[in-house]
Amino acid sequence: MPLAIETTNLTRRFGTVTAVSGLNLGVRAGEIFGFLGPNGAGKTTTIRMLCGLLLPSEGTACVAGMDVTREAEAIKRRVGYMPQRFSLYGDLTAEENLDFFAGVYRLSGRTRRTRVAETLEQVGLLDRRRAVTDHLSGGLKQRLSLACALVHSPAILFLDEPTAGADPLSRQQMWDLLYQVAAEGRTILVTTHYVEEAERCQTIVFMHGGRLIGEGSPEQCRAEMGEIVLEVDAVPVMRAGEVARATPGVSGVSVYGHTLRVFSQTAGDLERDLEAALTGRDILVRGIRPVPPSLEDVFMSLTRTARDVERGA
Amino acid sequence: MSMFAVIGHVARKEIRQILRDRRSLVLILVMPIVLTFLFGKALETGELRNIPSAILNLDGSPESNVIATAFSTYDEVQIQREVSTLDQAQALLAHGQIKAAIIIPKGFMRQIESGEEAQLQLLLDGTDNNSAPIVEGVAQRVIQRYNTERAIKGLWARGVRPDRGLRLIRPVYVQSEIRYNPGRQYLSYVMPGVIGLTLQLLTVMLMAITIPRERERGTLDQLMASPITRTELILGKLLPYFGISLLNVATILFVADRWFGIPVATQLFPLLLLCGLFVLTSLATGLLISAVSRTQFQAVQIAVFYVLPVFMLSGAYAPIEAIPDYIRPISYLFPLMYFSRAVRAVTLRGADLVQIWQDVAVLGGFVVVLLYWAVLSFHKRVT
Repeated sequence: MPLAIETTNLTRRFGTVTAVSGLNLGVRAGEIFGFLGPNGAGKTTTIRMLCGLLLPSEGTACVAGMDVTREAEAIKRRVGYMPQRFSLYGDLTAEENLDFFAGVYRLSGRTRRTRVAETLEQVGLLDRRRAVTDHLSGGLKQRLSLACALVHSPAILFLDEPTAGADPLSRQQMWDLLYQVAAEGRTILVTTHYVEEAERCQTIVFMHGGRLIGEGSPEQCRAEMGEIVLEVDAVPVMRAGEVARATPGVSGVSVYGHTLRVFSQTAGDLERDLEAALTGRDILVRGIRPVPPSLEDVFMSLTRTARDVERGA
Repeated sequence: MSMFAVIGHVARKEIRQILRDRRSLVLILVMPIVLTFLFGKALETGELRNIPSAILNLDGSPESNVIATAFSTYDEVQIQREVSTLDQAQALLAHGQIKAAIIIPKGFMRQIESGEEAQLQLLLDGTDNNSAPIVEGVAQRVIQRYNTERAIKGLWARGVRPDRGLRLIRPVYVQSEIRYNPGRQYLSYVMPGVIGLTLQLLTVMLMAITIPRERERGTLDQLMASPITRTELILGKLLPYFGISLLNVATILFVADRWFGIPVATQLFPLLLLCGLFVLTSLATGLLISAVSRTQFQAVQIAVFYVLPVFMLSGAYAPIEAIPDYIRPISYLFPLMYFSRAVRAVTLRGADLVQIWQDVAVLGGFVVVLLYWAVLSFHKRVT
């Protein structure tokens, strides 16, 4: 399958800060490609470079076969961009906003009218088309924003946190829409810091501190995680966490409700060592068992490793 | 869609937004009328007639009375009071009740009769540098007339008939005639400047905030990610405000014609052309400010720093010849200078297009250069 987006050593510096560092990406046409990473990981900067809004400091990127440095304006015709921050005209109606952006993308006459109506229908805003945008709920604003990025039928969509701050139902609706859009053959590059959203992508990359720290399908990522995960059910859970962290061989611990997830790079006798350490500290251990890692575990594990590497360097 | 279609499309969106913001719209349409009216009325008092004055006739002789009466025959001064002491005259002057005190010293007649040099004294309020020279001029004329009459009388007493006497003296009078603004009304001079200032104030401000407003609201991101060209965006924003400015031109010219005696009807075409070109230069200046400003606050700041010096340096208020040589070149950087000069030529001198073509051409040049500069200053990339 041809690559919709390809970057080689893509780097962007702001003064002395390197926001994106040596990024190599390959996004296949027609897939939903997820960018996962904490705030400040360089996701938005990457998207802005790929949309032709920001020049790379180093490296190259090709979007829809065109170079972002030399052919930015041509790329803009072929891609849709939904910025992280809501960026439509609050004083215009939903339909007026959509019509405006349709015109800006050079649709005219009947084509424009048809596309505006179709897109409103697609995102479920047909009955609210005359509502002033400022008066729409957060979820509806996000769908209208998606509509504006979609109205000119772009081959590639860049969505920067399309569900930020949305309630679970709105998020579900947004993702249903994204699957529909992907089914039309469009490539979607989406950033998120919700791990459960990353599960819905065909390929995900993990970013941290401007670098790519992991890549693959959600299944691959879980399978290739370099650490094992033990689920520990112990009381009191917070004390148990402290003890586990101090146990040799343990590389990280996260607390989930009443259980701990303990990460380790060495399999071996960790289960027994851990139980001994906990019981020795008067902690009631109700169960210890190895569990398959979740994507969140992968994310935590990769982030920790990346931090250790940074510290070591 | 063609470039022109996209420009029209952007313009339609801007018009929608303008119409939806009713309060600003009312302000935009009413403010120029109010400002023109207020500025005009405030400057109307600059007309120099009936300068309030007082006479202090310390001599009280027939000769001094002739002088005192002579002053009241001139329109420029108005003898409001006759005072009897110098202190009184000074007090009136200090309180601003009079601008000039005409003093005929004691012994005035005796000095004349005995052939000594007699003096007329003036006390003038130097804070009003317009009226002081005018009173001085009146005094000169009064004295010249008095001297001539006395000489003729003196000759007559020696048996020379007055008509022959006049020929003997051959007095020289300065006969000046002021063309183009016969009443020498300051208002007629300054009104073109007032029109320009009002037109400029609003257009520069309105235009300056348009791009930073989109930047602050985030809508600029969406626009920059689209294939719209810089020219399409800039001209699309310019067009609706040009329309509004033309409405303002119409109302301002109406006010100028109706209340301030500017002959708009007879000079409609050159005036409309000059106003139209001038608002384009202001809109383009606003767009340039808009393109280089990050925030609306910054844009307004820059706009104020532009509008204020223009006010002082462009000859809108006072002739640029009054500005020192080393500062004057700056005046030529402001379109308002060419505008007020050309409008003055049209309204005061009745100049036609041929006579003002240079100013028209310069204004047109400003439009092209400023718009081009604005387009170049706007970048579709973020930094």
